[in-house]
Amino acid sequence: MTDATSSGASPMMSKPKRKSILEIDAATKKRNAAEKRFEYMGLAAVLTGLFFLIALLVTIIGNGIPAFTQTFITLEVELQEKRLDKSGERDLEKIKKVTTFGYNPIIQDAIKAKLAEAGIETEITKGKDLRKLLSTGAVGSLRTTVLEDPSKIGETIEMRFVAASRVDGYMKGRVSRESLARDKNLFPAHLDIVDALVEEGSIERTFNWNFIFGSDASDSRPEQAGIGVAMLGSFFMMLVVLGLSLPVGVAASIYLEEFAPKNRFTDFIEVNISNLAAIPSIVFGILGLAVFIQFGGGVLGIPGFKASAPLVGGLVLTLMTLPTIIISTRASLKAVPPSIRDAALGVGASKMQSVFHHVLPLAMPGILTGTIIGLAQALGETAPLLLIGMVGFIASNYPDGLAAGFTDPNSAMPAQIFEWAKRADPAFYERAWGGIIILLVFLMTMNIIAIILRRRFERRW
Amino acid sequence: MNDMRKVERAVDMHETKISARGVQVFYGDNHAIKDVDVEIADKTVTAFIGPSGCGKSTFLRCLNRMNDTIDICRVEGDIQIDGEDIYHKDVDPVQLRAKVGMVFQKPNPFPKSIYDNIAYGPRIHGLAANKAELDEIVEKSLRRAAIWEEVKDRLQAPGTGLSGGQQQRLCIARAVATEPEVLLMDEPCSALDPIATSQVEDLIDELRQSYSVVIVTHSMQQAARVSQKTAFFHLGNLVEYGETGEIFTNPKDPRTESYITGRIG
Repeated sequence: MTDATSSGASPMMSKPKRKSILEIDAATKKRNAAEKRFEYMGLAAVLTGLFFLIALLVTIIGNGIPAFTQTFITLEVELQEKRLDKSGERDLEKIKKVTTFGYNPIIQDAIKAKLAEAGIETEITKGKDLRKLLSTGAVGSLRTTVLEDPSKIGETIEMRFVAASRVDGYMKGRVSRESLARDKNLFPAHLDIVDALVEEGSIERTFNWNFIFGSDASDSRPEQAGIGVAMLGSFFMMLVVLGLSLPVGVAASIYLEEFAPKNRFTDFIEVNISNLAAIPSIVFGILGLAVFIQFGGGVLGIPGFKASAPLVGGLVLTLMTLPTIIISTRASLKAVPPSIRDAALGVGASKMQSVFHHVLPLAMPGILTGTIIGLAQALGETAPLLLIGMVGFIASNYPDGLAAGFTDPNSAMPAQIFEWAKRADPAFYERAWGGIIILLVFLMTMNIIAIILRRRFERRW
Repeated sequence: MNDMRKVERAVDMHETKISARGVQVFYGDNHAIKDVDVEIADKTVTAFIGPSGCGKSTFLRCLNRMNDTIDICRVEGDIQIDGEDIYHKDVDPVQLRAKVGMVFQKPNPFPKSIYDNIAYGPRIHGLAANKAELDEIVEKSLRRAAIWEEVKDRLQAPGTGLSGGQQQRLCIARAVATEPEVLLMDEPCSALDPIATSQVEDLIDELRQSYSVVIVTHSMQQAARVSQKTAFFHLGNLVEYGETGEIFTNPKDPRTESYITGRIG
């Protein structure tokens, strides 16, 4: 276009119709509008997600926080010798013969004394009814205290008792006088006593350590239920899962990714690993029931392979976690640039040296992240545990010793939550939400660890 | 071709280091190398030139059996180094690769320190008895690759933090650290700027003193500058092989002539 000045000289230049770029043409306008629309749609999608997340968190925290506090009633208890140790010999064996039933009058007397001392009038006269202010587990804890130190018999001691779940609920606003109308456990008069005791200062709500470290309790004592033992069950299961799925998963991925020849057989394995990752977890549960418990424990008689054992739970969850770990490990091995492998082979490293000295360290962040995500998934898994019997019973005691931790019947955190949510008493419902908070804290911690590890091990190449 | 003065053209009659006879390479059904015969002399620089996809890199990778890592690749024919068949079933490719070092197209230092990059080869082959010997090997290799002065104060710094040209020289140092007899270079300068390229070319000329160097290059000027012998590949065939001066000034085959004058490629 050197002769642009000589207009009309060539037929090309006869149409000097040029569009100004200051005018936006129709097609561009349409395109821009479409782009804007898409942007708003995306934003709306993100905001919807955010809304649900916030709603979820608010619900969980709002419902679960009360589980972390517990109402206690402080009483002066006179350990009457005539009831606890008639002979006066302080013989532990004889004292043990007094069952919790024998401690009931002592507690009743203590409550009556408290009412008299505080000058509280009440229409409730029966000691048995007064006792309903306290958890039914109160006598048990009093008996334990006495058995620990029989020398105290005859003295008057001050003790904090767990309040009954209805009293606790009243303090938390869950129970009202109206709702007690249909309740046989507590009368509105009880609540009058509670109000008076609150004023007097004998009732307090404090942080509930027992919820975090305690064990589950029976249906009638929701106020004493804790998630501690289930947490331990989850811990032992995670040990099994980590100990098995990490080495097996990483070894399998390294073999498949670096060593295995590409043929029909390895293709078949590959497809099936992907399929395995998509199998509903309950299928793994029934597999675990059939293979580990019925065949392994029943037919072969392997000790420890029994229903409700964290060892079996861990094995089932290992099966579930393996595909996750294999898939993520293979992805991170694939992400290591082939030039690094070439470099290692080029200086005369063997295949294994190149993998273990160069490829694996570079893939480590990805492998660790995948493993932790897999573990977090396993930690929150409930369905397979239902089938191998990790629910439906009261795991009431801490296992004694490491071996017992793997083989003693136990529950797991999500199974425990499921169990609580199933029970009728609203006090259990509250604990289910509280359990979810604890579970989420664990999952969040694991995810944060994954992020930190990834940041730490990440290297440039 | 006015920069051909750089290297003495007089080719000394060195003995043959590598001899290839009737080499065929297949990638699955694709016949990548067709019946190539070539004799590579010791202590010379031999350049492989040719258009993209002509098989020069593939042939280079046959010389230290790097193609073994590709499942579908099949090599036929006979390649001998010092009269020994490298595809003999008793040959361990790992041992062979220690003897035939390789430098790749893209600088690929390990994401480790400069020191560890160099020390890795000697370590796995047990070339150093103690730390002092290893230090010596590292220094010697870095000096040979003409990079010692630039990195001697930061041997513990990561090798990936160097510039592209330095990284490539680091890779060359890494390759010579294992005391190979042959050095294969697959387009070693294609990722480098002109200054770094000229440094690496000087280095290649230096290395000729001790090794037989085989270099694949896309740049005919580079082939002309650094090599004594040149082989021209086209569509998997070795079209012409001879002294570099001869190939560039007086090619016998019309295809060679078309390529070096820029008509095919």
